[in-house]
Amino acid sequence: MKKILSVIIASVSGILILLGYFFKDRSGGLLVLLINWGILLISVAGLIGVGYLLQRHIRRLIQRKKGMFLSILLLLSFLTTLTLGFVFSLESEFFRELILNIQVPVEASLLALLAVVLFTSSTRLIKVRGWTPLSIGFLCSALVFLFLDLDLLKTGSGTLAAELILFIRRLPLAGARGILLGMALGGLIVGLRVLLGMDRPFGEGK
Amino acid sequence: MNWSIVGWVVIALSALLLVICSLLGKKLDFYSLRRSSSAAGLMKAQITAIERGQPRLVAIGDQFWSRAYPGLGLHTLTSLPMLADSENVMDGGLSVAGGDGSLLVLAHQIVQNGYVNGFSMELSKPRMSAILPGPTQLSFSVGLLSELGLQKYGSIALFGNYGPAAILWTEAVQSKGGYAFAAAGSLPSQAALLFSVRDLMIGESVFSMSGLLSSNLADQARWLTEDILRVLLIFSLVAGVIMKLTGVL
Repeated sequence: MKKILSVIIASVSGILILLGYFFKDRSGGLLVLLINWGILLISVAGLIGVGYLLQRHIRRLIQRKKGMFLSILLLLSFLTTLTLGFVFSLESEFFRELILNIQVPVEASLLALLAVVLFTSSTRLIKVRGWTPLSIGFLCSALVFLFLDLDLLKTGSGTLAAELILFIRRLPLAGARGILLGMALGGLIVGLRVLLGMDRPFGEGK
Repeated sequence: MNWSIVGWVVIALSALLLVICSLLGKKLDFYSLRRSSSAAGLMKAQITAIERGQPRLVAIGDQFWSRAYPGLGLHTLTSLPMLADSENVMDGGLSVAGGDGSLLVLAHQIVQNGYVNGFSMELSKPRMSAILPGPTQLSFSVGLLSELGLQKYGSIALFGNYGPAAILWTEAVQSKGGYAFAAAGSLPSQAALLFSVRDLMIGESVFSMSGLLSSNLADQARWLTEDILRVLLIFSLVAGVIMKLTGVL
């Protein structure tokens, strides 16, 4: 009974949101009300998530597990940010500068690390995937677009060569759209299956 | 005809096809169940890691909902019962990492409900650990990286929404001899992971994971529906191109 109830609640709320989306004018504020409830629940879940984070690090600290030092660092930074956030408001220039001056360099260093890892991994593409049409095509297209983006080819506007380069440059966009269309189709079917109660992840098994 | 009506038509047609195909049930036997070597590789790696006593990590995305990829979070949750079944969570070595509180709460609930009608009280206790490495995309990336550095994970499986930083985690696990699988749905992550992950799902195949991990009749209905819609979509695109070329559109 409990499982059927959760399926009914999930399906009815989903269908109401869907109807409200298409009939915004006639929904009479129902859509806004349901979305607000959703936002409230997600915010509470966000707080629970922060609880998970703290619980894990506090437990690691108490049990003196490997990585304890990192946990101390995390808990200290969390408490400092939380206290400063309460003392100064989010609109405070000082608070924003302080956070950004830590966050931006960390983000930049992560991006630098990512660039190095991407480069080293790209050299191992053939080793990972073998000489397949996909890997060869991927490598060749990467080289072609790298060359095109260097802007070494100078062509006059309106010429056949310029049109050809423009066409080649548009090809990745077409590929990305194709993948996104397929994913949208997959997403639509997943949503409908949950709405129609065919997929019940919140029940037992599938 | 406006876009709202087009949306309704697509949704109604998909729902109708899904219901019809589901009602046909066993008559769809002619439509064979699909297999994927990548999904089989993941299951094999999970079993190997359990037997070796190594921890496994399933990452379910850094956000539940995003405008660009709205169905990813939901899909990850529908695949979770197959990934976190009783056998997999029994030894307590399975960790589920997410960057969004709502994702983790729902994941925890799914694992907890995974064995409600059974007879063994032991199996009904959830032994999965839920990890939130960080509540934002950046903190999630960095937090998960440090988490992976602390233990020697036997396998990592990526589902849901990520940026290209996903490659850092798979590299961290693979460099210690672990196995990596990815059905991460965003385009940047798929492009980055192509370099490093052998068992990688791309495009709409990401959404067929639940069916590939555990197939049943309902999946046959879904695959048939998806294939019919795909063919219709291809025909509409070709028709659109022809109409554009001939000046009708």
